[in-house]
Order: sequence, then C-alpha cells, then structure tokens
Amino acid sequence: MAVSIRFVVKRLLLLIPVLFGVATIVFSILHLSPGDPAIIIAGKNASAEKIAEIRRSLGLDDPIYVQYARFMIDSAQFRFGRSFKVEAGLTVREILRIKLPITLELAVYGQIAGIALGIPAGILSAVKQDTLTDHLTRVGALSGISVPIFWSGPLLILVFAVWFSVLPTSGRIAIDYRVPAVTNMITVDTLLFALGRTLENGFDTDHFAAFGSAVRHLILPAGVIGIYSMALISRMMRSSMLEVIRQDYIRTARAKGQGAKITLMKHGFRNALIPVVTVIGIQFGTLLGGAVLTETVFGIGGIGRLLVEAVQVSDYPVVQGTVLAFAVLFTLVNLFVDMTYSYLDPRIEQ
Amino acid sequence: MSTETASRTESRGILDRLRASPFLSDLLSNRLALVGIVLIGLMVVVALYARLFLDLEALLRTQLGENPTLAAPSAEFPFGTDRQARDILPRVLYGAWLAMLYGTVTVGLSTVLGIGLGTLAAYYGDVTDNVIMRTMDVLLAFPSLLLALAIVSIFPDELGLWRAVIALTLVYIPRFARVIRGAALAVLEDEFVDATIALGAKDTRVLLRHLFPNTLAPITVQSTLNFGLAIIDIAALSFLGFGATAGTPSWGLMLSNGVRFGLLTGQWWWSLFPGLFLAITVLGFNLLGDGMRDALDPRMREAID
Repeated sequence: MAVSIRFVVKRLLLLIPVLFGVATIVFSILHLSPGDPAIIIAGKNASAEKIAEIRRSLGLDDPIYVQYARFMIDSAQFRFGRSFKVEAGLTVREILRIKLPITLELAVYGQIAGIALGIPAGILSAVKQDTLTDHLTRVGALSGISVPIFWSGPLLILVFAVWFSVLPTSGRIAIDYRVPAVTNMITVDTLLFALGRTLENGFDTDHFAAFGSAVRHLILPAGVIGIYSMALISRMMRSSMLEVIRQDYIRTARAKGQGAKITLMKHGFRNALIPVVTVIGIQFGTLLGGAVLTETVFGIGGIGRLLVEAVQVSDYPVVQGTVLAFAVLFTLVNLFVDMTYSYLDPRIEQ
Repeated sequence: MSTETASRTESRGILDRLRASPFLSDLLSNRLALVGIVLIGLMVVVALYARLFLDLEALLRTQLGENPTLAAPSAEFPFGTDRQARDILPRVLYGAWLAMLYGTVTVGLSTVLGIGLGTLAAYYGDVTDNVIMRTMDVLLAFPSLLLALAIVSIFPDELGLWRAVIALTLVYIPRFARVIRGAALAVLEDEFVDATIALGAKDTRVLLRHLFPNTLAPITVQSTLNFGLAIIDIAALSFLGFGATAGTPSWGLMLSNGVRFGLLTGQWWWSLFPGLFLAITVLGFNLLGDGMRDALDPRMREAID
C-alpha cells in the first residue's frame, strides 16, 4: 500500500490553514461588497426601525472581529443561515444538499465522456507521431480548449434542438415526468424509479421513459464538457506516451521479443497514465468552476447557476455557502489527485 | 562607409544570435505556432482598424427604423443585424479591440505582479516565501472563474469591463508567482549567482541582471497561454452579466444577448460571429503558447534532433 495513513492525515491537517484562509477571503469579499444585507432583506421601502431590527438580528452591529469569529465558527459547522432571496426560507445547507448532486452528476458524465474520447485520441496521436493523424488530433485538441463552452453549447443547441429537434434545448428532464428525488441525481433517481416499478409490476419499457428523457437531456451538456476535457486529456496522454516509449524498459521488452502492441499497452500505457490522472483530477476541479457557464447555457439548476443568481441579487448566505462548498470540493479533489499520484508511482516522495 | 559596415556587422550579429537561439529556430520551424502567430497578427490588425476607423458612439446607438431588425446575413449586412437593428459586423470587429485591450491589461498586470511576488519569495525564502506562497495557495484553492465572480460583485457596475480586469488579475497572479518562483529557485541554485553575490553585487543587481533575464522564457510561455484564457474569462464574466455594460460591443455580451434572445427563435448569426472571433483569437494564443512550450522543453528538443 503506497499511500500510508500518515500521509493522508498529514495532508488533511495541512488543509486546515488553507480552508481557514479560504473562509477569510469569503468573509472579506462579502464585507467589502456594497449594499446592506438588512436593506436587501427588508426591502427598499422598509422603515428605519425595521431595518435596525434586522441588522441587530443578523449581528451586523457587532464589531467586525466578533462578526469574523462568528463567521469562522459557523463556517466550520457549515452553517450559513437561510437564503433570503434565491430560495427564500430554505437553509443554505438544504439548498446545497439538493443542488450539489446536480452539479456533480453533470461533471461526472462530462468527465467520463472526456476520458473515453481523450485517452484513445492521445495514444493514437503518440503512436502515429508527426503523421497527418497526429497533426489533426493535436489541432482538434487545441481547438477544443479554445472554443468557449458558452459558444459551443448554444451552437449545439441550435443544431440538435432547434434545427433538427432531436434533443431537448435545456433542463434536466421533460416536465411530464414526476420522479421522487432520492439522490437528486436525475439519472440515478429515474433508474431507481424504473427498477422499483419493474420489481412491482414486471418489466415494461414505459418504466424507463423518464430515465430515457434524463439521458437525452444530459447528452449536450455532458458532450460540451467532454469535448473540453478530451482536449486536455489527449494532449497530456500524447506527450506522456511519447516520453514513456523512449524509456529503456520499453526497448528491453521489445528486445526480448515482445510484440509492439503488447509492449505498448502493458508497459507503455500504465506508466504513461500517471500524469494523465493528474490532469483528469485538475480537470475535474476546473469543471466544477465551469459549472456556472454550462448550467447557465443549458438551464440546469445546480450550484453553479445558484451562485450566479445569488451574486446577482446579493443573497449573502447563499453566496458564502456556495463559494465555500466549491472551494472545499476543489481542494478535496486536488488532495485526492495527489494521493492517486503517489499510489500510481511509489517513487514519488510522500 | 565605415559606419555602414559597422552597423551591418552589428545587425548580422543580432540575426546570427537569433538564428543560433534554439528556442526561436524551434519555434519558427513549428508550423502550428506559425499559424498561431498569423491568427494573432490578423486579430491585432482587426483591433487596430476598429479602434482607428470605427466610431464607438455610432456602434452603441440603436439603429431602429434605419436598418431592418434581426436581418439575416446579406450583402448589405454580412453578419446580419441585432434586435436594435445594429449592424453586427462592425460591432464584432470593435470587439477585437476590446478583447485585445482588456486581455493585454489583465495579463500584463498579473505578469508584473506575479514576477514581483514570485521573485521575492524565491530570493528571500523563509518567512517571506511562506507568507507569499501560502497566500497564493489559498487563492488557488478556488476554481478561478468562481473567485473572479465573487470578486467582481464587490465593484460597482459602472466600472464595466474593468471589474473583470481587476478580478481576473487577482485570480491569475498566483499562477505566475508559482511559475516564476520555481524558475527563479532553479536559477538561484546556479553557481554564477553565488559568484555574483561573492563579488559583492547588491540584491537589486542580482535580481534584475541575473535572475530576471533567466526566468524570461517560462514567463513568456505562461503569459501567452494565459492570454487566451484571459480573453475567454473576460467574455465569460460578461456572458454571465458581470462585465461589459449594456450596449458595449464586447464579444461576451453580444454572445449573451444572442443566446438569450436569438437562439431559440433562430437568429443564429447574432451569437455565431462574436463567438467565432473569440474562438479564433484564443486558438491563436493557444497554438503559439503550445509551440513555445515545446520549443522550451529540452526533452522535446532531443526528440527533434
């Protein structure tokens, strides 16, 4: 076991100061923001007493260090109070519990598409180095990174939803379907629903209609994300593969009479994969950030869209909670990438 | 006569030195990088043309009544018109100027500040290094666009695209600081630096004469690659409603309006052209940056030999 418990614990402890800094930045940003939350809650025409009362109840009259300390304690428990605009009345925790899975689901499918396309493309490019195939793959990859999601997304909607009407324009599922929310991941929920019905009433393709609708809604957004991650993954796969196939152990394997394809897959691929895993991890973090754009383009109500709306109407509790949730997720993904890295390549110092 | 000979020898000297530089010759023999240079060059020409010959006031004004509204591309309006009956072509061309201007300021500022912080951290080490780099770590703990989004909200709307410039500069500084600190640490290990210090050189002399020139290459690559990203991110913030003020012919805002009001009703030209120009510009910087990185990587150079 290459990853020791000590290593994991050490890395987790090192996260504490980073998260402390992250929370401090969130606190500062919100306190530098113009606009008084009390006025936003009470409305512009509220009386002075009413506003003063809200200020007191929110603790806005306390000295700044008291507010900071309270914010840090609340953040550590992930308590941010209730939304006062976007999802008025719900606690930020409840909102995130519903919306976070939506964002994660999209990112996972997008990343799967990116890996499925990017790894073969990268290997092909490396094996056929400096041929037309290689050049086309590389230009394709660079174009994939250069095309913004908020342009490729709408173009795909135009072609597949508006002109050919083969896929839906936006949303997560057709409105005709009502499926109980268990995990809030639409493909999982619809599948659970279909399986439940099948167990009760026997198999019928109708049970899977909702699942089909959910999948059709996911094709374009996941595809757009996939194109982008494919570009990064194939680039890394190519350069890493090129480096690995020049190593002595590959020559040794070939010299002892092993076939080119077996050598490539058995010795080359596994070792070349190490840096690719890092890119996939970093990519996943970037995808979370990109969620604000994908969700806006495709009308998906995850935490990306939530953050944009909350910032627009100065719904501070939601902004705080969402930004912190994003930062924590992002940091954990990076930590996980580091651990995978040292697991795959035990030579890397822990 | 003699001065002419002298200047010719000198200029040949520079050319020879350029030719002898493995970085430049590798870069110029990389066809994709050349395509990148051509694309960037074209956009710079478009940007300068728009700045010099197009009247911004006229581009902002609504043309209702004078032009047809939402006209499809035609000989008269090659890129069509928008809901305000404005000709989209000159607006897209002017967008090139805005993208180049704001992109340059963003990348320039974050490069300069990143160089400062990165070199200080590497050179002084210890506490300075820790304070600077741990702060950078915290900033890097946010997905970049999200942090930019949160920072943008601090500034008043009137600042328009400058809000995006400030926010993205803050977001990009850590990347530059990291790259530069790494490069500077590698240079500091070299014996010639010890020799210079032993000879009694001052800190500023070591930093400016020895450290800075030797970290120039990685800085250039990072800036070029980041240029494409900056242009996309500025457009992204406008697309989300946190950048250009209403009416500004910025690619992000035109795309946003085109998508929101023209996509489902079939006015594809409204969003197609701004996005196309955006993508071409970014592709140019990515091609060039990629070529630079390959040319700098000694392992790649071995492969070419």
